[in-house]
Amino acid sequence: MPKQSTRIDDLLASVTADLLDGDPQRFQDNSIRVERILLELVRPDPVQPRRVLPERIHFAFHQNRLTPTQALRELVQIVQVAARQRGRPFSSVLELLPRSDDDSEETPDVQLSPEEQLLRDLINLAVTIRDDGQVNPLSVVDVSQGVTRLYRIETGERRYWANWLLRDFIPGYDGDGMIPCIVVPSERSSVFRQAKENTARAGLSAIAMARQAALLLLAIHDYEIPDGPVSNDFYRQALELDLRGKREYTDVVLAAMGGVGKMRFSQIKSLLRLSDEALELADRHNLDERKLRPVLLLDPGVHAEIIRQIIDFKLTSKQVQELCEADETDQQESEEPNDIPTSALRIAKVAQAATAPSPHDVARALIKRTGDVDLARVRLRAIQKLLADAEQYLTE
Amino acid sequence: MTRVFVLTNHKGGVGKSTSATNIAFGLTAVLRRAGASNSRVLLVDTDSQGHATLVTTGRNNYGADDSLYTVLMADRQAAPQVLANCIVPSTWDENLHVLPASPMLEGAERELIGVAGAPYRLADPLSRIANQYAAVVIDTRPSFSLMTEMGLLAATDAIVPVEPRYLETVGLMSVINKINEVREGWRHPNLRISGILITKLDMRVRGHKHLLEELQSHSILGKLICGVIPANEAVSYAHHNHQSIFAYDPQCPASKAYAQLVGQLVRQMAKAGA
Ligand SMILES: Nc1ncnc2c1ncn2[C@@H]1O[C@H](COP(=O)(O)OP(=O)(O)OP(=O)(O)O)[C@@H](O)[C@H]1O
Ligand SMILES: [Mg+2]
Repeated sequence: MPKQSTRIDDLLASVTADLLDGDPQRFQDNSIRVERILLELVRPDPVQPRRVLPERIHFAFHQNRLTPTQALRELVQIVQVAARQRGRPFSSVLELLPRSDDDSEETPDVQLSPEEQLLRDLINLAVTIRDDGQVNPLSVVDVSQGVTRLYRIETGERRYWANWLLRDFIPGYDGDGMIPCIVVPSERSSVFRQAKENTARAGLSAIAMARQAALLLLAIHDYEIPDGPVSNDFYRQALELDLRGKREYTDVVLAAMGGVGKMRFSQIKSLLRLSDEALELADRHNLDERKLRPVLLLDPGVHAEIIRQIIDFKLTSKQVQELCEADETDQQESEEPNDIPTSALRIAKVAQAATAPSPHDVARALIKRTGDVDLARVRLRAIQKLLADAEQYLTE
Repeated sequence: MTRVFVLTNHKGGVGKSTSATNIAFGLTAVLRRAGASNSRVLLVDTDSQGHATLVTTGRNNYGADDSLYTVLMADRQAAPQVLANCIVPSTWDENLHVLPASPMLEGAERELIGVAGAPYRLADPLSRIANQYAAVVIDTRPSFSLMTEMGLLAATDAIVPVEPRYLETVGLMSVINKINEVREGWRHPNLRISGILITKLDMRVRGHKHLLEELQSHSILGKLICGVIPANEAVSYAHHNHQSIFAYDPQCPASKAYAQLVGQLVRQMAKAGA
């Protein structure tokens, strides 16, 4: 057999030598190509730090429990519920677009949920693609294995989703189900390139930046980057890593993060210490790092609640800082015999007080202590919740 | 644009499947040797007999949900993805991929006759994934049927294999007319006849030699001859062993002739691509 295989080589060699005609480069083509690729053969990158879809859909999609169309349908449903609650139900997604002939003009203070904003942006993009008849190419990496052709998106995931939306949700699509892609040879693709592309564009949330930082750290410490969706714990492994041991990579990593300093890099990375729920909320609502940093001082159990307050009351970073530092001193005072923290005893004392203060005075006092109305409201809401929760424990 | 070669002749046993499989394998092997960035080749078997499928994949029991039949029955929008899913690797080479035929294709023709757009049910989805391949090779059945029409509509280049005993110009002209009909009738100007491939030529037979010379001197058909494959027992043995002729016996005359043909096709492809 080996003898035979060398003979087949000889045969083919004679044909190819003839073909190459003394020019061994003739058939080699390492140039970057733009190709039209069937939408179905293109997949978003599950570890891309910049997430387009809401977390629940993101995971269901990447675990292959949802097709792209089903994923979008879920998104549309979420938005439909929100719209109905606001008394503006819609039947076609196109109705989400602000109409130019609409005099009633949306009241500017209507706060769109992140899902509504996302869907609206995607529809906008889809309609632009439909009307212009073209879309800027995505950049993709050929990750085909054997007969399974597959291209993983490096950049352009929003355009990918907009195309699906266009194909399956918007009337008047007459495209061929393909999308132009720049196919990057896989050896040239890297977390570094992706990071640079990501940071070069606006709108990367602080949490996405944190995931980005983690990916870069994991990559330079030779961690294997998985093919499937990853949990936050995967990124959190980077909390134990730093740039110190990897001097030769420091500059590339910092440059890929958009030219940040080492200090800033580690601040961004630290955000991964937020609880899972907090991470999801902060990412979805695009909270910035300075608002999130003080939250890290607190126990992970309360992260999500604080983040919710930041969102609901649109707290400034200064307000967040005050809120968290006050909480922290509470926590530090909590050493006390027989295990009941001082803070709890203090509240009990207030509850026992014979002469309840007037509500007006409480409000004034709160504002005085917290320094502003929003924070005071946060405090009140927190104590309302606390008292309600406490009541449940009375019977135990 | 990816070249899609279709091997077609309504006469049976002229070497369509032998040529389709060996050309497909040869293209892969030669392109890889030449260092081409993409050397994948897709072989599409449209013959319900599934000979090409059998020799290149080791089986021919593909059916309702894993063959060309599945693609033809799929919803228009889903068809490209269905096609991609039905492709299987060949046992001959990792870069040779096969869209298998199925005995069910026999019924498909009947099921599809009269269905609007039926003749495009292969061309349409194939065109969406063809650019993943350096070349596509289609094997057809010996008939002028809807299935063959589908093969022609999906192709850019028709290669007509002929045995010397059928070399009478009348028979050849009828194949060529058929191809022309498809080109004109279906507005498929990209389809061209890229060659007449003479198979099973035995120079010891005086009649063969004579017919070849006659064809070579024909004003139109003579220019169309793209290769001459000698009659060679090794071809039958290779077929029985489910091997390509190149792997079975690279030294035999048929191997050399097919290698030469493949080299010529690659050269054309490179020229068109440049
Ligand atoms: N060059 C050759 N020398 C000897 N035998 C050959 C040659 N080419 C093909 N054959 C044999 O001729 C027979 C028919 O060949 P093949 O199956 O390739 O033809 P076909 O046109 O695909 O047939 P069908 O029309 O039935 O699909 C096979 O047994 C094959 O092994
Ligand atoms: Mg055949």
